[in-house]
Amino acid sequence: MDEVMAVFRREFLERVRSKAFLLGTILFPVFIAAITILPARMGSGGGTRHLVVVDQAPAGVGQAVVQLLTAPQPAGTDDDDRVTFTAERVAQPLAQVKAGLIGRVQRKEIDGYLYLPPDVVQTSKAEYRARNVANFAVLSAVQRAATQAVQAARLQAAGLDGARVAALVKRVEVGTGRITEKGEEGGSAFSTFFLGYIAGFLVYLMILLYGMNVLRSVLEEKTNKIAEVIVSSMKASHLMLGKILGVGAVALLQVAIWVGMIGFTGSRSGSLTARFGLPPGALDVVHVPLGTVLAVLAFFVLGFFLYAAMYAALGAAVNSEQEAQQFQMVVMMPLIIPMVMVGRIVSDPLGPVATVLGLIPFTAPVTMAMRVSSVPVPAAQVVGSLVLLAATVLAVAWVAGKIYRVGILSTGKKPTLRELGQWLRMA
Amino acid sequence: MNEALTLDGVAKRFSGHTAVDDLSLAVPPGTIYGILGPNGAGKSTTLRMVMNIIARDAGRISLLGADPAADPKILRRVGFLPEERGVYRKMKVTDVIVFFAELKGVDRRKARADAGGWLERIELGDWRDAKVETLSKGMQQKVQFIATVIHDPDLLILDEPQSGLDPVNQEVLRDTMLAARDRGKTVIFSTHNMEQAEQLCESVCIIAQGRKILDGRVRDVKRENVGNRWQLEFDPATEAARSFVARETRFGAFTPHGEGWRLEMEPAADPRELLRALAGLDATVVRFGREQNSLHEIFIDRVGGNVTPNRRPEVAHG
Repeated sequence: MDEVMAVFRREFLERVRSKAFLLGTILFPVFIAAITILPARMGSGGGTRHLVVVDQAPAGVGQAVVQLLTAPQPAGTDDDDRVTFTAERVAQPLAQVKAGLIGRVQRKEIDGYLYLPPDVVQTSKAEYRARNVANFAVLSAVQRAATQAVQAARLQAAGLDGARVAALVKRVEVGTGRITEKGEEGGSAFSTFFLGYIAGFLVYLMILLYGMNVLRSVLEEKTNKIAEVIVSSMKASHLMLGKILGVGAVALLQVAIWVGMIGFTGSRSGSLTARFGLPPGALDVVHVPLGTVLAVLAFFVLGFFLYAAMYAALGAAVNSEQEAQQFQMVVMMPLIIPMVMVGRIVSDPLGPVATVLGLIPFTAPVTMAMRVSSVPVPAAQVVGSLVLLAATVLAVAWVAGKIYRVGILSTGKKPTLRELGQWLRMA
Repeated sequence: MNEALTLDGVAKRFSGHTAVDDLSLAVPPGTIYGILGPNGAGKSTTLRMVMNIIARDAGRISLLGADPAADPKILRRVGFLPEERGVYRKMKVTDVIVFFAELKGVDRRKARADAGGWLERIELGDWRDAKVETLSKGMQQKVQFIATVIHDPDLLILDEPQSGLDPVNQEVLRDTMLAARDRGKTVIFSTHNMEQAEQLCESVCIIAQGRKILDGRVRDVKRENVGNRWQLEFDPATEAARSFVARETRFGAFTPHGEGWRLEMEPAADPRELLRALAGLDATVVRFGREQNSLHEIFIDRVGGNVTPNRRPEVAHG
């Protein structure tokens, strides 16, 4: 076993010492943080808009619109795309001011203008002209302000109290929270979805990335004929084992570093939230129960073994990365399926699709990572899936080992399926 | 004394053709042994079977007293340099050497120290921490050579070691092989370069198309394959001498060669007969003798037109 250790050490140290590992370990969380924090911070179309309200409407409507637009919005809304407005009211007819307003928009002094025609109360029609009319948040705010002002005018004309009616028809806001084995917990629907997605994506990415690492490593030894020298010192199956364990240990180390980072983030979530100007609770997503972390890790490790064995066999069967690429899709396909179905799995983690994909060993690692981090999956399903997966790992490793043993020493053209069959019988 | 390596009736067939056929040989310990043959003769296949890289179909192999297929641990005492070279390109020079030493069971610290010594000796000391890919091809081959010998093997098996080496490095390799032999180690190498083998080897085995043509000590091989080519020289070459050579056809045809003539003697002819005839001539014979065949000539003689390479893609059906 000394040789296995030597191979393990080489695979592990060469990778961990590389700049790629350092960069990947640092950059990935930065990337995740960036896609989490930046949109929240900037908003896709947030910020302040400068509008001019061209008011030809009956008395009071224009003023009400301006007031509604510029009123400070209630704090704590879940809206990342918060927009604020400054508005000025002009009372001249549109024809007189139109050219001037267009000029101001073009000079970027204002963002746009809202035209309230004289018959706006009867027709319910106003016009909004701006550089960008595709921003949903801006458009809906303008629409809401105009609607409320016009409705108030109508209610007043009908002799009703606008404020009272508004209170009577107030919208109901439905809050979300998860129920787990520990009882009720916080966390919005969004953060639950987010966690399932991130866990699935991580498992997918790491299996793919490090599986490719195994493939490349096998291929290097095969094409450089290093394999011949190594195999004359140790068993091919031991070489494969040391290689997969070594690469796997690198992946685990990287994941451990990230889990550590997440733990740190979790313990400081309060101050971090304030620091980055995030809505409170935005980092609740990182409060992950230990059981969930362990389950995801178990699925990741077994999933990595499964795909690493297949990648090792693929690397041994082909002669170049170009050749490998043609077959990679076949190996990757089952890994991709849960990624394509992520919406279905995360939105209904106990539904039939998620349950079935969670039991099929080839799709289980990614699917189960998504499921267990979204909801409490029945323990029987988790254990059953793990057992099936482990059995498949053994079976696949056995077949892959045979292909590997013959493949790394073969030269010449890539084998046909029939020849692969011969290799299996031979080895 | 026990042989370092013996092969007894070893054979290997790849789908449809026989790469090695009933090969037997014995390598005396403490010598340099050459396996000679044209490309595709089965040299690499033979060495790969010895190294247990591919399985043989028939025959017995005894390597340092053990069968490498049954007792692979014996291979720890062997250093193997495959025909196609290559080391990990992204690794540091010293790390590569230490890795291969570890595979052979050498302690890591000892390997690191030994690697330093070797690198100094072949003038790669300044490159010990460089990545392999920054080295020239010749330097990379040197690194691989150190990786082959770092565990101080009792037996070195080198497949076409000279290929791709410049003359200076060929000299380095030659010295290393001789030094290993002088320390009691055995060196086996394959080559298609007969002259080189003749200079280095004490014993050889010539194979072609998977079959052994001959084997034994170089001295014996040459003695047994003297051929029947003679040299004749007069000083001066008088008129009588010239007309004798032109007229005399009983022994075979004389052809001008250097200062004198060369004779391919008929197998039935008696050299004593010729000597008597020469004695009666009005000319002084300064040279009359049988030519020593070089290994190269013996090889061409024995293998003749059969040297057409018979190489096919080898799938190691292990």
